[in-house]
Amino acid sequence: MTEVKYLIIGGGVAGTMAADTIRKKDSEGSITIISDEPYRFYSKIMLSKPAFFLGKIPFETIWLRKEEWYPENKISLLLGKKAVSLDPVGKIVALDDGASFKYEKLLLATGSSVIKWPVVGADKNGICYLRTLDDVKKIMQLVKTAKRAATIGGGFISFEMADLLRLSGKDVTLIIRENYFWEPILDEESGRLVEKVLKDAGVEILYKSEAKEILGGDSVESILLNDGRKVEAEMVVCGIGVRSENEWLAGSGLKINKGILANEYLETNLPDVWAAGDVAEYYDPILGETVKLGNWIHSQEQGKRAGFNMAGEKEPFKFVSFYASQGLGANIAFIGNIAPLPGRSVITRKYDNGKAIIRFIQSGNKIVGATLINKTEDLKTIANMIENNIDVSDRLEELSDVNFNLSGFNSENINA
Amino acid sequence: MANQQEYQRSRPDSKIAKIVVDRDLCISAASCIGVAPEAFELDAESKAILKNTADSVDDETLMMAAQSCPTKAILLFDNDGKQIYP
Ligand SMILES: Cc1cc2nc3c(=O)[nH]c(=O)nc-3n(C[C@H](O)[C@H](O)[C@H](O)COP(=O)(O)OP(=O)(O)OC[C@H]3O[C@@H](n4cnc5c(N)ncnc54)[C@H](O)[C@@H]3O)c2cc1C
Repeated sequence: MTEVKYLIIGGGVAGTMAADTIRKKDSEGSITIISDEPYRFYSKIMLSKPAFFLGKIPFETIWLRKEEWYPENKISLLLGKKAVSLDPVGKIVALDDGASFKYEKLLLATGSSVIKWPVVGADKNGICYLRTLDDVKKIMQLVKTAKRAATIGGGFISFEMADLLRLSGKDVTLIIRENYFWEPILDEESGRLVEKVLKDAGVEILYKSEAKEILGGDSVESILLNDGRKVEAEMVVCGIGVRSENEWLAGSGLKINKGILANEYLETNLPDVWAAGDVAEYYDPILGETVKLGNWIHSQEQGKRAGFNMAGEKEPFKFVSFYASQGLGANIAFIGNIAPLPGRSVITRKYDNGKAIIRFIQSGNKIVGATLINKTEDLKTIANMIENNIDVSDRLEELSDVNFNLSGFNSENINA
Repeated sequence: MANQQEYQRSRPDSKIAKIVVDRDLCISAASCIGVAPEAFELDAESKAILKNTADSVDDETLMMAAQSCPTKAILLFDNDGKQIYP
């Protein structure tokens, strides 16, 4: 058994930023990061971006910390090991190789994993997912020989993958269950706007379609749809969603919903156990609700906050996060909590006959989230509006009026 | 060098003399804006640009903003023109 002061499970952005922050506050306390991936901290975001995928920049650009950074900061990094159980009384985490660690303080920063495609034949070669560096290596290999590709599901991964596969010269079919892209997160008009850039790039979209079976020998040859149609493809990238794998924590007494439940200090219900990043389902004091978000900046900032709090500070995590991306000449950003829950309403702001669309998600008398298509320059202004808790109940017309400058909402708040 | 925005910093206590955003690398993940909203914003093409308030941001925050960029599109240079990040 190894004793360590700070034990961090997960070496992604949340775990690494926590270690970095702890070291700045506590120069001596021992820190160990356990990761089940064989790699040190790298840029997940880059995996699905053209510069990296198409090899326009050196492969090494993917690393976000040098190998020496770990020993230089006295952070020990254990790769290729999975945490398999937690005993919160003895304060012990056991690994899959039989080793165990006794911690003083523990951070769970295990992110999320892809949902596997529950279709007959989905185990054939050529079916892939996109979450890790190993995943993208496999996709890059398949791209070398495949002529036709399919992407499954409507979301960021499909959008970005369809772009990359077109740029790689493949015929691309995008298969979605919904009536339009990104339903119900986006309204139909915003969804169609995203679809238009995909179609202009030559992507074929099949709506209301579900796979019944994957056909072929060892390798995929085609996808048989429920309505009998067949889509031929030598590779399929499946982006039907992510989930956090918390099964290993069952029996530990840790409170878990979709994510690991935490308060605004990122503390879980167990003593000296924190959660941060995609895995955390935490109380957001700005939104006034418990949320589980999945984006880079959010995980990074939560990792930092958890690190500070583990090293002895105690401050709430207060940050309006966002997921922004671009591809095929379109840019998309989701800010705050955009879940279309019952009781929420949407205020739409349309520019240039709908070439750019902002949708504000209203809950009670304030804005809790927004979706931006081709208008990401307003990202920070809108994040500030959410953070400032602006009462918009009698100002809905201003929100939808493009002649009203949105920054007006924030400057009034500062003057107030 | 074509598609880069350069910003000369004029802050006496600063070791960072120049900030460069490589617009080809920028993918508008906007993490720089999350870390240093006084220094960066997104323009109409959704690329990070430097704001005229960037001098008000201290070196540590700028370094954190550069380090937070998931595509390493923010480059920092010292007074001797030496690249200090990445
Ligand atoms: C292809 C791709 C593109 C993306 N693009 C964007 C983007 O443009 N903008 C944006 O904001 N976000 C983007 N994201 C999302 C962003 O990358 C995530 O929100 C972020 O990486 C989450 O960080 P994390 O540290 O919480 O988790 P992760 O980065 O997932 O790290 C968690 C780590 O913990 C490991 N782990 C899990 N369980 C265990 C265990 N039991 N024992 C040991 N190790 C374990 C995992 O293998 C993983 O390495 C993208 C994601 C992907 C996959």
